[in-house]
Amino acid sequence: MTPAHHPSDDILAAYAAGALDPGFGLVVGAHIEMCAACRRRLSAFEAASGEALAALPAAALAADAFAQTLSRLDAIQAPAPVIDRRPLIERLPLAKKKWIAPGVWVSAVMTPHAKDNRVYVLHVGPGKPTARHTHAGAEFCTVLKGAYRDELGLFQAGDFAAADDALEHQPKVAGDEACVCLFATEGRLKAKGALGRLAFAYADV
Amino acid sequence: MGNVVTMHCRQGMSDEDRLVAVASGDRGAFRALFESFAPRVKSYLMRLGAVSAIAEDLAQDAMVQVWRKAGTYDPARARASTWIFVIARNAWIDRLRRERVELAYQAASDPEPEAMEAPDDAVARAQTEAQVAAALGVLSEEQKQVIRLSFFEDKPHSEIAETLALPLGTVKSRLRLALMKLRAHWEGLA
Repeated sequence: MTPAHHPSDDILAAYAAGALDPGFGLVVGAHIEMCAACRRRLSAFEAASGEALAALPAAALAADAFAQTLSRLDAIQAPAPVIDRRPLIERLPLAKKKWIAPGVWVSAVMTPHAKDNRVYVLHVGPGKPTARHTHAGAEFCTVLKGAYRDELGLFQAGDFAAADDALEHQPKVAGDEACVCLFATEGRLKAKGALGRLAFAYADV
Repeated sequence: MGNVVTMHCRQGMSDEDRLVAVASGDRGAFRALFESFAPRVKSYLMRLGAVSAIAEDLAQDAMVQVWRKAGTYDPARARASTWIFVIARNAWIDRLRRERVELAYQAASDPEPEAMEAPDDAVARAQTEAQVAAALGVLSEEQKQVIRLSFFEDKPHSEIAETLALPLGTVKSRLRLALMKLRAHWEGLA
């Protein structure tokens, strides 16, 4: 399926430049794995980044930098890592599932590098509601499986969504398959309603 | 005498020619690439937040990878600057991953796994390179500078405005215009 919702130019340019927080980069990368059009767009940004690299002022290197590099050329190479071709959801290092309700669980992706960023997978079974909520900061989301619908439209496998503190939404699972999404959020989600707040606090999202 | 001729030829070489020469073990070509790219890779990594010692180590590491992977470089698919940039960026992301987080995450843009790329992607990438060159040609120097400052120097719009001595609104609209012009080219590709 061809995704219908893509990262904006500034997000993709920042991703190409290596300037996104790793957790947010992971969510963009998940979309790119599933989107040929964005792989082409990314190539364009990488080419622009290459040009920008060549135009950067030179930093001073150690006096023997080239000699050091030459001495590293003949060092024994680590074997090339085996490329893991399983779907992303199976490759993510996930923490233990936290069940929030029947059919609904959250599992954190370990990212000790970014304490303020929460990266997690949310699984919501068909027909299950989620709490209406707003965001304390930026949130990126890529749908890994299934589909959801919110005020912004229908988001299916591969689709990417970026939210900020201006968005209040209540996503609902669409179709009769569970919806699995990968999220990166900056700050905590703010649930509307006491039950939602309790669930969000427990799920640590 | 032979050396003089070689040196002379090397001066007229493009970076793409140099990378191809590095693939056949030409250390002179490697030195030329090292001298032009290693200091800029270090500079780029420091802009991403690496401290000087780490940036130096990673820049050397990236150049080692340039040497080792040169055999996979195809000048029809990418300019040398793009190819070296992607190696440097991935070295940075790998370092973040190794030191602070273990993600079994393979960036789709990684230049290594040729097999991971569908054949039509490879064709698209080659076309993209040529068309990006054309797209970049459409941008004014000022617009390119705004993009450079935003993504490579990570400066807030207010600081870019100050650097370029432009009103803030102008910076924002130039950036938007630059992105729109690029987007028109990408849409032609999609």
